[in-house]
Amino acid sequence: MNHQLLHIFRNNPLGRETLLQSIYFCKQISASPVIYIPKSTKFLMYFDNDVVQIDLDESYLTSPDTALKHATELLEQAGIEPIFLDPKHYTASTLPDIHTNFDYMCCPRSISDLSSKIGLGYIGPRVRRIVRSARFPVLITSSVFKEWKSIAVFFGGSANAVNALKLGFRLCRVSGMTLDVFTMVEKNSRESYEKIVKDKNLEEEMSLYAGKWHFFENQVFEENLYDVPHDALIVLGAYGHHLFKDFVFGSKMEKVQSTISNNLLIVGPNYIATI
Amino acid sequence: MKFTIHEVAQCLNLPEITIERWIRQGRIPIQKSSNGYILNEAALEKWAALYKLPFSMPRKVKTRHKEKRMESLLTAMKRGGVLYDLKGDDVETVLKSAVENIPVLSNNSREEIYRHLLEREHLTSTGIGKGVAIPHPHDPLSDTLESQVISTCFLENPIDFGAVDDKPVFVMFILLSQSIKIHLHLLSRLSFCVRDNAFVEFLKTSPDSAMFFSKIADFEKRLDRADIY
Amino acid sequence: MRIFQSWRYPANWNIFRLDDRLLLILMAAIVGSCSGLAAVALNRSLVAMFNWLHHLRHYWWVFVLPAIGAALSSLFLDKIVKEGAGHGVPEVIYSVSRYGGLLRFRSSFSRLISSCLTIGSGGSAGPEAPVVMSGAAIGSNIAKYFSLNDRQRVTLVGCGAAGAISSIFNAPIAGMVFAIEVIIGEWKSVHIVPIAIASVAGTEISRILQGNQIAFSHRLFSIDHMDIFACLGLAILTAAASILLTRLLRSMHEISKKIPAPVWIRAAAGGCAVGLIGLFLPVVLGEGYHSVRMMIEGAFSQGLAILALAVLAKIVATALTLGWGGSGGIFAPCLVIGSLVGVTYHHGLVLLWPAVSWVNEGCFALLGMAGLISGMMQAPLTGIFLIVEITGGYEVILPLIIVSAISTTLCHYIEPASYYLKELVEYGHLLRPGTDARVLSDLNVSELLEKDCIAVTQNMLLRDFINIVKKSNRNYFPVENEETGHFLGIIHLDDIRPYLFNPVMYDTVFLGQIMDANVEVVHPEDDLSDVLRRMDANRLFSMPVVVNNRFIGLISKGNLLNQYRKELMVQTSQQI
Repeated sequence: MNHQLLHIFRNNPLGRETLLQSIYFCKQISASPVIYIPKSTKFLMYFDNDVVQIDLDESYLTSPDTALKHATELLEQAGIEPIFLDPKHYTASTLPDIHTNFDYMCCPRSISDLSSKIGLGYIGPRVRRIVRSARFPVLITSSVFKEWKSIAVFFGGSANAVNALKLGFRLCRVSGMTLDVFTMVEKNSRESYEKIVKDKNLEEEMSLYAGKWHFFENQVFEENLYDVPHDALIVLGAYGHHLFKDFVFGSKMEKVQSTISNNLLIVGPNYIATI
Repeated sequence: MKFTIHEVAQCLNLPEITIERWIRQGRIPIQKSSNGYILNEAALEKWAALYKLPFSMPRKVKTRHKEKRMESLLTAMKRGGVLYDLKGDDVETVLKSAVENIPVLSNNSREEIYRHLLEREHLTSTGIGKGVAIPHPHDPLSDTLESQVISTCFLENPIDFGAVDDKPVFVMFILLSQSIKIHLHLLSRLSFCVRDNAFVEFLKTSPDSAMFFSKIADFEKRLDRADIY
Repeated sequence: MRIFQSWRYPANWNIFRLDDRLLLILMAAIVGSCSGLAAVALNRSLVAMFNWLHHLRHYWWVFVLPAIGAALSSLFLDKIVKEGAGHGVPEVIYSVSRYGGLLRFRSSFSRLISSCLTIGSGGSAGPEAPVVMSGAAIGSNIAKYFSLNDRQRVTLVGCGAAGAISSIFNAPIAGMVFAIEVIIGEWKSVHIVPIAIASVAGTEISRILQGNQIAFSHRLFSIDHMDIFACLGLAILTAAASILLTRLLRSMHEISKKIPAPVWIRAAAGGCAVGLIGLFLPVVLGEGYHSVRMMIEGAFSQGLAILALAVLAKIVATALTLGWGGSGGIFAPCLVIGSLVGVTYHHGLVLLWPAVSWVNEGCFALLGMAGLISGMMQAPLTGIFLIVEITGGYEVILPLIIVSAISTTLCHYIEPASYYLKELVEYGHLLRPGTDARVLSDLNVSELLEKDCIAVTQNMLLRDFINIVKKSNRNYFPVENEETGHFLGIIHLDDIRPYLFNPVMYDTVFLGQIMDANVEVVHPEDDLSDVLRRMDANRLFSMPVVVNNRFIGLISKGNLLNQYRKELMVQTSQQI
């Protein structure tokens, strides 16, 4: 259908890498990117139950005269018609409202902090709040543009993870890439995870779309991550099973984002997946 | 009980986006939980009555019965049978003998059917040209009939029916339907067959029922493929 | 474990599922107390700052104090909390009308600190609007924490505002009326009851912590008939003062925007000017409650000329403080200006008609305050109840009503929107519940989409098209490009009606020739009121919705009426 991805354009070489990544993602899954070129460092996103103020890092506003031209060039090179977002409502004269009816959003690891902080192991607090409140999955790109050739879903059994799995199925169907599912076998057995899939009536899709279901037996999670292909798009849920699951990201999620540099598509608790 | 947004939208007959928005804004007494929507039937009925909105519980919606497919020409014709060498010199006699001999009709309805057919002929002739006539009652006979019947009657001698092209009629298709809609549907299909001149020539040979029905089946297949009514 | 987790979703508990009024009352009490505490905190810190800076008053460089305070406050707001200054109550109203009352968490405390800096150092502003904003933000965030829905959150925002005003003035009814009249905008029992509870909570907190004192107590006044006539004149004067203040505030704001200096320098400049004025007329500094008390007592003895000058000076000082970047509200300055106007008027009356025994000037000070508040906010009920409660004087109710009502009406003629709503109305952002604008802004193009049109291609022959017409049940057919699926145009049945029965044309006409390629299209993100305007301008009853060059459906006025009516009924209900 016509899914849209929100991308906030940073007019510098780092921003170029991110935009190229967004464009590639959109082309693979037949979505169209909507670019917002910020005129001020602040804007508000009103979700269902939260309002997040994004304070952009100053580098987002570099050379505004060339921003439009650069973004248009990149989009036209990829054969996509450029669509730019023009905010219609303003909470205050320098505080535009960006609507949240998108299907995806692309973020770097941190929006408010200096580019120097964008490394492994750090996901900015604003990005975390967006993931928690948004109805769409958030694509966190690696710092350098790399074409991903397969999809890897991390399935931990929680409700979040089931949504991530459904999203993985859909991406596999639309893009035609191979799909692998990775599960870390901890206290539970393989069968318990398979039972979860069965209970949710996903057996059919599992056999149809998933190439191989890998079970990690090694108890040190980080060591298992080497088995994940370096050029895969990782799809995973942000939250796990534990007590404070509404406040902090799941433990696996934290380990994943601090160990591997693939592109991450993170699914929040308000996302409802359809296949 | 938990429902998906799709089921909730169906029972209120509103778009899904509207229902989601009303739940978020607190205008409808439905709660959203992590994997479904919780409905309280009594509260929701009261709410719907207040706003004069249609509301039917999801259970009933699930067993919505499919619309009856329109009956095909072949079934109606098989029910009505084929009559050969019908005797008669004018419209009344021919119709009378046809009605007497059609199977499946109950005896007390024959008189009434004959009367209706005659009334219709007096309004305007049902001879549609090329020697074909389609007698039928003006109003549908919903109480006398259980299902549609088309009776194919080959006349012994062609008679003058007052047809549009003044040609004598040699075959009659008597259409007896329960409703106008079914009547129009069958008529449309029949006329599609009759438009084909080769078919009319075929009819002139008074073919036996097996060959005749198979020809009709061919026509229906073509109609169904072209998805035409 | 489940119980522990479900306490965060009280709306889903069984007792509250059918009727959430009890839940709201409980929440309202909590919110009212919290915002009451915030108000008391601000009050205390202002008093503390005043006492701390008092000993500096006799230095020559004291006029720089307001400048320092304003600069610090603006720096704090801009750099540390990263919020814009001066958008308090309008932002609350905007969020209530459009987003169900979602407010940022940082607003709960940022305004308290920044206005404390501005006012404590001598700036001419009031602590009420910041405390309203804090209370509203507290209410909104408590609602967010408990995952309440929009309607409940709006009620809690109102509760926060009511609790704040009730606490800071020790005036529960004024708090209630302000929250409902100004913030929420509709008088429904589902809002009124929780807001009343919150007002009580806020007032109680204030009484416990600060004692039950009436802000401006006074002697008994004996009002005569002549005085009631005189009120008319006072109403006119206060209306004039309100208009002057509004206009001046706006123009100061405009002027300061044009100056290419960073925000805090502009704030400092404004503060300097205020300090200079304050050197000569100390009544303009700070929130001014002390001067108001003196005026009500009748102890503010100055000549008529000085009083008139003071009125103008206070108006200018307020405009300078707030327009140039300081942080605060206009409640308190309105009270001061109002009482100054009242006292001036009284002196004028005495001058003109010395034979008549006018009532004490303190009474006119009271009436002046009411007139100014009602005029500025165009909320006469708030003005009336506030003055009655903070002065404890019910006997002035008759002239009070006259002055408030007339002042509001006069101001409304000249400035159709009140001070808080002006900005919102200008940008078309004010959406009061149950209005046409609100219903249209809630509905979305995607909710009205009709997707049962059959698409055709531009190279289709008329003959094939006729078969499609047989099957369809609409009059519009979108034409798409065969290979790319891009939208090319629309065919309306009326266009081909003349040719439908002409068999010769069946094989000779392509659909590309009869389609309308210049049709107006709608994008799903378009504003519905805009779409309707275009439909009316072009006399269309249906328009195609196109995204990324693909046709996704039709939007028609018929369906819009259906959904509009349902939306309106649900929005303006008496029950939920």
